[in-house]
Amino acid sequence: MHQAPVNYRDAVADLPEIGSRFADLYRSFWSLASVPASTLELCRLRQAQLLGSDAAWQHEEVELPPGQRDSLRQWPGSELFSAAEKACLEVAEVHAMDARAITDQQAEAVKTHYGEVGYVALVQALGVFDAMTRLGLIWNLSSMEVD
Amino acid sequence: MATAARVTAPESDTGNLIRDSALGLVPETLQHFLDLTVAVWDAGPLGPAEIELARLRSANYVGCVMCKAVRYDVAVADGLSEEKVGLINDDYRNSELPARDKLILQFVDLYLHNPGPPDAAFQQSLDEHFSKAEQTHLALLLAYFNGFSRCAVALGGMPDSMPRMEISVPR
Repeated sequence: MHQAPVNYRDAVADLPEIGSRFADLYRSFWSLASVPASTLELCRLRQAQLLGSDAAWQHEEVELPPGQRDSLRQWPGSELFSAAEKACLEVAEVHAMDARAITDQQAEAVKTHYGEVGYVALVQALGVFDAMTRLGLIWNLSSMEVD
Repeated sequence: MATAARVTAPESDTGNLIRDSALGLVPETLQHFLDLTVAVWDAGPLGPAEIELARLRSANYVGCVMCKAVRYDVAVADGLSEEKVGLINDDYRNSELPARDKLILQFVDLYLHNPGPPDAAFQQSLDEHFSKAEQTHLALLLAYFNGFSRCAVALGGMPDSMPRMEISVPR
Protein backbone atom coordinates (compact mmCIF):
# COMPACT_ATOMS: atom_id res chain seq x y z
CA MET A 1 0.00 0.00 0.00
CA HIS A 2 1.33 3.40 -0.94
CA GLN A 3 1.37 6.20 1.59
CA ALA A 4 -1.45 8.64 0.87
CA PRO A 5 -0.25 11.95 -0.58
CA VAL A 6 -1.11 15.15 1.26
CA ASN A 7 -1.73 17.44 -1.67
CA TYR A 8 -1.94 17.43 -5.44
CA ARG A 9 1.75 18.15 -5.98
CA ASP A 10 2.71 15.14 -3.87
CA ALA A 11 0.22 12.96 -5.69
CA VAL A 12 1.64 13.70 -9.13
CA ALA A 13 5.29 13.81 -8.06
CA ASP A 14 6.15 10.72 -10.10
CA LEU A 15 4.48 12.11 -13.22
CA PRO A 16 5.24 15.84 -13.12
CA GLU A 17 4.85 16.57 -16.84
CA ILE A 18 1.21 15.52 -16.98
CA GLY A 19 0.49 16.66 -13.43
CA SER A 20 1.80 20.16 -14.06
CA ARG A 21 -0.15 20.46 -17.34
CA PHE A 22 -3.38 19.57 -15.58
CA ALA A 23 -2.60 22.04 -12.79
CA ASP A 24 -1.86 24.73 -15.39
CA LEU A 25 -5.25 24.12 -17.00
CA TYR A 26 -6.98 24.26 -13.61
CA ARG A 27 -5.27 27.55 -12.73
CA SER A 28 -6.18 29.13 -16.06
CA PHE A 29 -9.86 29.34 -15.11
CA TRP A 30 -9.28 31.83 -12.30
CA SER A 31 -8.45 34.74 -14.57
CA LEU A 32 -10.95 34.50 -17.42
CA ALA A 33 -12.31 37.56 -19.20
CA SER A 34 -15.60 35.79 -19.90
CA VAL A 35 -16.77 34.51 -16.48
CA PRO A 36 -15.98 36.02 -13.05
CA ALA A 37 -13.75 33.86 -10.88
CA SER A 38 -16.19 34.23 -7.99
CA THR A 39 -18.95 32.65 -10.09
CA LEU A 40 -16.72 29.73 -10.98
CA GLU A 41 -15.74 29.37 -7.32
CA LEU A 42 -19.42 29.02 -6.40
CA CYS A 43 -19.76 26.26 -9.01
CA ARG A 44 -16.62 24.50 -7.75
CA LEU A 45 -17.91 24.60 -4.19
CA ARG A 46 -21.34 23.31 -5.21
CA GLN A 47 -19.63 20.40 -6.99
CA ALA A 48 -17.67 19.74 -3.78
CA GLN A 49 -20.95 19.53 -1.88
CA LEU A 50 -22.53 17.23 -4.43
CA LEU A 51 -19.51 14.93 -4.61
CA GLY A 52 -19.08 14.95 -0.83
CA SER A 53 -15.52 16.24 -0.86
CA ASP A 54 -14.65 17.92 2.41
CA ALA A 55 -11.17 18.87 1.16
CA ALA A 56 -12.61 20.63 -1.91
CA TRP A 57 -15.24 22.31 0.23
CA GLN A 58 -12.69 23.57 2.75
CA HIS A 59 -10.44 24.87 0.00
CA GLU A 60 -10.78 28.52 -0.97
CA GLU A 61 -9.70 29.47 -4.47
CA VAL A 62 -11.44 32.87 -4.49
CA GLU A 63 -12.81 34.95 -1.63
CA LEU A 64 -16.61 35.16 -1.89
CA PRO A 65 -18.99 37.87 -0.71
CA PRO A 66 -20.22 37.40 2.88
CA GLY A 67 -22.86 34.74 3.32
CA GLN A 68 -22.62 33.05 -0.05
CA ARG A 69 -20.64 30.03 1.10
CA ASP A 70 -22.97 29.36 4.02
CA SER A 71 -26.05 29.75 1.82
CA LEU A 72 -24.83 27.74 -1.11
CA ARG A 73 -27.14 24.76 -0.55
CA GLN A 74 -30.10 27.18 -0.61
CA TRP A 75 -28.97 29.16 -3.67
CA PRO A 76 -32.23 28.85 -5.67
CA GLY A 77 -34.22 30.86 -3.12
CA SER A 78 -31.46 33.09 -1.81
CA GLU A 79 -31.11 36.78 -2.64
CA LEU A 80 -27.37 36.52 -2.02
CA PHE A 81 -26.86 35.10 -5.51
CA SER A 82 -27.27 37.07 -8.72
CA ALA A 83 -29.28 35.84 -11.69
CA ALA A 84 -26.03 35.18 -13.54
CA GLU A 85 -24.64 33.13 -10.67
CA LYS A 86 -27.88 31.17 -10.42
CA ALA A 87 -27.82 30.40 -14.14
CA CYS A 88 -24.31 28.96 -13.75
CA LEU A 89 -25.15 27.05 -10.58
CA GLU A 90 -28.13 25.46 -12.30
CA VAL A 91 -25.92 24.19 -15.12
CA ALA A 92 -23.31 23.06 -12.58
CA GLU A 93 -25.85 20.95 -10.71
CA VAL A 94 -27.16 19.24 -13.83
CA HIS A 95 -23.61 18.76 -15.14
CA ALA A 96 -22.71 16.98 -11.91
CA MET A 97 -25.47 14.43 -12.47
CA ASP A 98 -25.52 14.03 -16.25
CA ALA A 99 -24.09 16.55 -18.69
CA ARG A 100 -26.49 15.27 -21.35
CA ALA A 101 -29.39 16.54 -19.25
CA ILE A 102 -28.39 20.22 -19.55
CA THR A 103 -31.21 21.84 -21.49
CA ASP A 104 -30.99 24.44 -24.23
CA GLN A 105 -32.85 26.82 -21.91
CA GLN A 106 -30.28 26.39 -19.16
CA ALA A 107 -27.44 26.94 -21.61
CA GLU A 108 -29.21 29.99 -23.02
CA ALA A 109 -29.57 31.48 -19.55
CA VAL A 110 -25.80 31.35 -19.07
CA LYS A 111 -25.19 32.81 -22.54
CA THR A 112 -27.57 35.67 -21.76
CA HIS A 113 -25.18 36.80 -19.05
CA TYR A 114 -21.78 35.65 -20.29
CA GLY A 115 -22.18 35.02 -24.02
CA GLU A 116 -21.15 31.95 -25.99
CA VAL A 117 -17.56 32.20 -24.86
CA GLY A 118 -18.74 32.33 -21.26
CA TYR A 119 -20.84 29.21 -21.72
CA VAL A 120 -17.91 27.32 -23.24
CA ALA A 121 -15.65 28.51 -20.44
CA LEU A 122 -18.19 27.42 -17.85
CA VAL A 123 -18.60 23.88 -19.14
CA GLN A 124 -14.83 23.59 -19.56
CA ALA A 125 -14.38 24.70 -15.97
CA LEU A 126 -17.04 22.33 -14.67
CA GLY A 127 -15.28 19.39 -16.29
CA VAL A 128 -11.90 20.34 -14.89
CA PHE A 129 -13.18 21.20 -11.40
CA ASP A 130 -15.18 17.98 -11.25
CA ALA A 131 -12.04 16.09 -12.25
CA MET A 132 -9.88 17.84 -9.66
CA THR A 133 -12.41 17.04 -6.96
CA ARG A 134 -12.58 13.39 -8.01
CA LEU A 135 -8.78 13.16 -8.00
CA GLY A 136 -8.78 14.56 -4.48
CA LEU A 137 -11.23 11.88 -3.38
CA ILE A 138 -9.41 9.04 -5.17
CA TRP A 139 -6.07 10.10 -3.69
CA ASN A 140 -7.62 11.00 -0.33
CA LEU A 141 -5.96 14.41 -0.39
CA SER A 142 -6.18 16.50 2.75
CA SER A 143 -5.50 19.70 0.82
CA MET A 144 -6.64 20.77 -2.63
CA GLU A 145 -3.78 23.22 -3.11
CA VAL A 146 -2.22 22.58 -6.50
CA ASP A 147 0.93 24.66 -5.90
CA MET B 1 -29.49 14.77 -26.08
CA ALA B 2 -29.18 18.16 -27.76
CA THR B 3 -28.80 18.00 -31.51
CA ALA B 4 -28.28 21.70 -32.12
CA ALA B 5 -24.92 23.21 -31.27
CA ARG B 6 -25.18 25.75 -28.46
CA VAL B 7 -22.19 27.77 -29.60
CA THR B 8 -20.55 28.63 -32.89
CA ALA B 9 -17.08 27.19 -33.31
CA PRO B 10 -14.30 29.54 -34.41
CA GLU B 11 -13.74 29.93 -38.13
CA SER B 12 -10.15 28.74 -37.88
CA ASP B 13 -9.05 25.83 -40.05
CA THR B 14 -5.75 24.84 -38.55
CA GLY B 15 -6.37 21.09 -38.77
CA ASN B 16 -6.13 20.81 -34.98
CA LEU B 17 -9.50 19.47 -33.88
CA ILE B 18 -9.30 21.14 -30.47
CA ARG B 19 -8.15 24.54 -31.72
CA ASP B 20 -10.83 24.51 -34.45
CA SER B 21 -13.62 23.41 -32.09
CA ALA B 22 -15.62 25.49 -29.64
CA LEU B 23 -12.84 24.88 -27.12
CA GLY B 24 -10.82 27.29 -29.21
CA LEU B 25 -13.13 30.13 -28.20
CA VAL B 26 -11.61 30.52 -24.74
CA PRO B 27 -8.17 32.05 -25.24
CA GLU B 28 -7.01 31.65 -21.64
CA THR B 29 -7.49 27.87 -21.57
CA LEU B 30 -6.79 26.77 -25.15
CA GLN B 31 -3.04 26.30 -25.00
CA HIS B 32 -3.36 24.47 -21.69
CA PHE B 33 -5.86 22.04 -23.23
CA LEU B 34 -3.50 21.45 -26.14
CA ASP B 35 -0.48 20.91 -23.90
CA LEU B 36 -2.35 18.54 -21.61
CA THR B 37 -3.70 16.52 -24.53
CA VAL B 38 -0.22 15.84 -25.86
CA ALA B 39 1.20 15.14 -22.41
CA VAL B 40 -1.51 12.59 -21.58
CA TRP B 41 -0.64 10.58 -24.69
CA ASP B 42 3.13 11.06 -24.74
CA ALA B 43 4.42 11.63 -21.22
CA GLY B 44 3.02 8.76 -19.20
CA PRO B 45 3.95 5.10 -18.80
CA LEU B 46 0.65 3.59 -19.98
CA GLY B 47 0.54 2.64 -23.64
CA PRO B 48 -1.93 4.14 -26.13
CA ALA B 49 -4.15 1.04 -26.20
CA GLU B 50 -4.54 1.15 -22.42
CA ILE B 51 -5.21 4.89 -22.48
CA GLU B 52 -7.89 4.31 -25.10
CA LEU B 53 -9.47 1.53 -23.08
CA ALA B 54 -9.98 3.89 -20.13
CA ARG B 55 -11.09 6.77 -22.37
CA LEU B 56 -13.75 4.67 -24.08
CA ARG B 57 -15.13 3.31 -20.80
CA SER B 58 -15.51 6.89 -19.58
CA ALA B 59 -17.03 8.01 -22.89
CA ASN B 60 -19.60 5.23 -22.73
CA TYR B 61 -20.70 6.38 -19.29
CA VAL B 62 -20.89 10.05 -20.23
CA GLY B 63 -22.77 9.15 -23.38
CA CYS B 64 -20.66 11.29 -25.67
CA VAL B 65 -21.47 9.99 -29.16
CA MET B 66 -18.42 11.60 -30.72
CA CYS B 67 -16.03 10.36 -28.00
CA LYS B 68 -17.42 6.83 -28.38
CA ALA B 69 -17.05 6.87 -32.16
CA VAL B 70 -13.47 8.09 -32.19
CA ARG B 71 -10.45 5.79 -32.16
CA TYR B 72 -7.05 7.37 -31.78
CA ASP B 73 -4.77 5.97 -34.45
CA VAL B 74 -1.92 5.50 -31.99
CA ALA B 75 -4.13 3.18 -29.93
CA VAL B 76 -5.11 1.13 -32.96
CA ALA B 77 -1.44 0.88 -33.93
CA ASP B 78 -0.72 -0.23 -30.36
CA GLY B 79 -3.07 -3.18 -30.78
CA LEU B 80 -6.48 -1.95 -29.65
CA SER B 81 -8.88 -4.06 -31.72
CA GLU B 82 -12.61 -3.59 -32.20
CA GLU B 83 -13.04 -7.02 -30.66
CA LYS B 84 -11.49 -5.68 -27.46
CA VAL B 85 -13.51 -2.47 -27.67
CA GLY B 86 -16.62 -4.65 -27.82
CA LEU B 87 -15.70 -6.10 -24.43
CA ILE B 88 -15.82 -2.69 -22.74
CA ASN B 89 -19.28 -3.20 -21.33
CA ASP B 90 -20.80 -3.90 -17.94
CA ASP B 91 -19.91 -7.58 -18.19
CA TYR B 92 -16.20 -6.93 -18.62
CA ARG B 93 -15.33 -8.75 -15.38
CA ASN B 94 -16.50 -12.01 -16.97
CA SER B 95 -14.85 -11.30 -20.30
CA GLU B 96 -11.64 -12.62 -21.81
CA LEU B 97 -9.88 -9.32 -21.20
CA PRO B 98 -6.51 -9.66 -19.47
CA ALA B 99 -6.42 -8.93 -15.75
CA ARG B 100 -4.58 -5.68 -16.32
CA ASP B 101 -7.30 -4.39 -18.66
CA LYS B 102 -10.03 -5.41 -16.21
CA LEU B 103 -8.29 -3.48 -13.46
CA ILE B 104 -8.16 -0.39 -15.69
CA LEU B 105 -11.91 -0.63 -16.26
CA GLN B 106 -12.53 -1.25 -12.57
CA PHE B 107 -10.56 1.89 -11.73
CA VAL B 108 -12.58 3.89 -14.29
CA ASP B 109 -15.78 2.70 -12.63
CA LEU B 110 -14.47 3.71 -9.21
CA TYR B 111 -13.59 7.16 -10.53
CA LEU B 112 -16.99 7.59 -12.17
CA HIS B 113 -19.38 6.06 -9.68
CA ASN B 114 -17.85 6.20 -6.23
CA PRO B 115 -14.69 8.33 -6.24
CA GLY B 116 -12.57 7.49 -3.23
CA PRO B 117 -9.48 5.48 -2.35
CA PRO B 118 -9.55 1.92 -3.67
CA ASP B 119 -10.30 -0.61 -0.94
CA ALA B 120 -7.41 -2.73 0.34
CA ALA B 121 -8.01 -5.69 -1.98
CA PHE B 122 -8.38 -3.51 -5.08
CA GLN B 123 -5.32 -1.45 -4.15
CA GLN B 124 -3.31 -4.64 -3.71
CA SER B 125 -4.35 -5.80 -7.17
CA LEU B 126 -3.44 -2.42 -8.63
CA ASP B 127 -0.04 -2.55 -6.95
CA GLU B 128 0.59 -6.05 -8.29
CA HIS B 129 -0.13 -5.04 -11.88
CA PHE B 130 0.75 -1.35 -12.11
CA SER B 131 3.60 0.84 -10.99
CA LYS B 132 2.83 3.92 -8.94
CA ALA B 133 3.46 6.11 -11.99
CA GLU B 134 1.06 4.00 -14.08
CA GLN B 135 -1.65 4.42 -11.44
CA THR B 136 -1.08 8.17 -11.40
CA HIS B 137 -1.24 8.24 -15.19
CA LEU B 138 -4.52 6.35 -15.16
CA ALA B 139 -6.10 8.81 -12.72
CA LEU B 140 -4.87 11.87 -14.63
CA LEU B 141 -5.92 10.64 -18.06
CA LEU B 142 -9.36 9.92 -16.67
CA ALA B 143 -9.53 13.39 -15.19
CA TYR B 144 -8.76 14.80 -18.60
CA PHE B 145 -10.92 12.62 -20.83
CA ASN B 146 -13.94 12.48 -18.54
CA GLY B 147 -14.00 16.25 -18.21
CA PHE B 148 -13.50 16.59 -21.96
CA SER B 149 -16.41 14.25 -22.75
CA ARG B 150 -18.71 16.07 -20.34
CA CYS B 151 -17.75 19.35 -21.97
CA ALA B 152 -18.38 18.01 -25.47
CA VAL B 153 -21.84 16.82 -24.50
CA ALA B 154 -22.72 20.09 -22.77
CA LEU B 155 -21.82 22.09 -25.88
CA GLY B 156 -24.61 20.36 -27.85
CA GLY B 157 -24.55 19.58 -31.53
CA MET B 158 -24.12 15.88 -30.88
CA PRO B 159 -25.78 13.58 -33.44
CA ASP B 160 -27.63 10.47 -32.30
CA SER B 161 -24.98 8.26 -33.85
CA MET B 162 -21.65 8.52 -35.64
CA PRO B 163 -19.57 6.01 -37.58
CA ARG B 164 -16.28 4.83 -36.16
CA MET B 165 -13.48 7.16 -37.20
CA GLU B 166 -9.77 7.18 -36.60
CA ILE B 167 -8.11 10.42 -35.63
CA SER B 168 -4.63 11.50 -34.68
CA VAL B 169 -3.64 13.13 -31.41
CA PRO B 170 -4.06 16.87 -32.04
CA ARG B 171 -0.63 18.46 -31.88
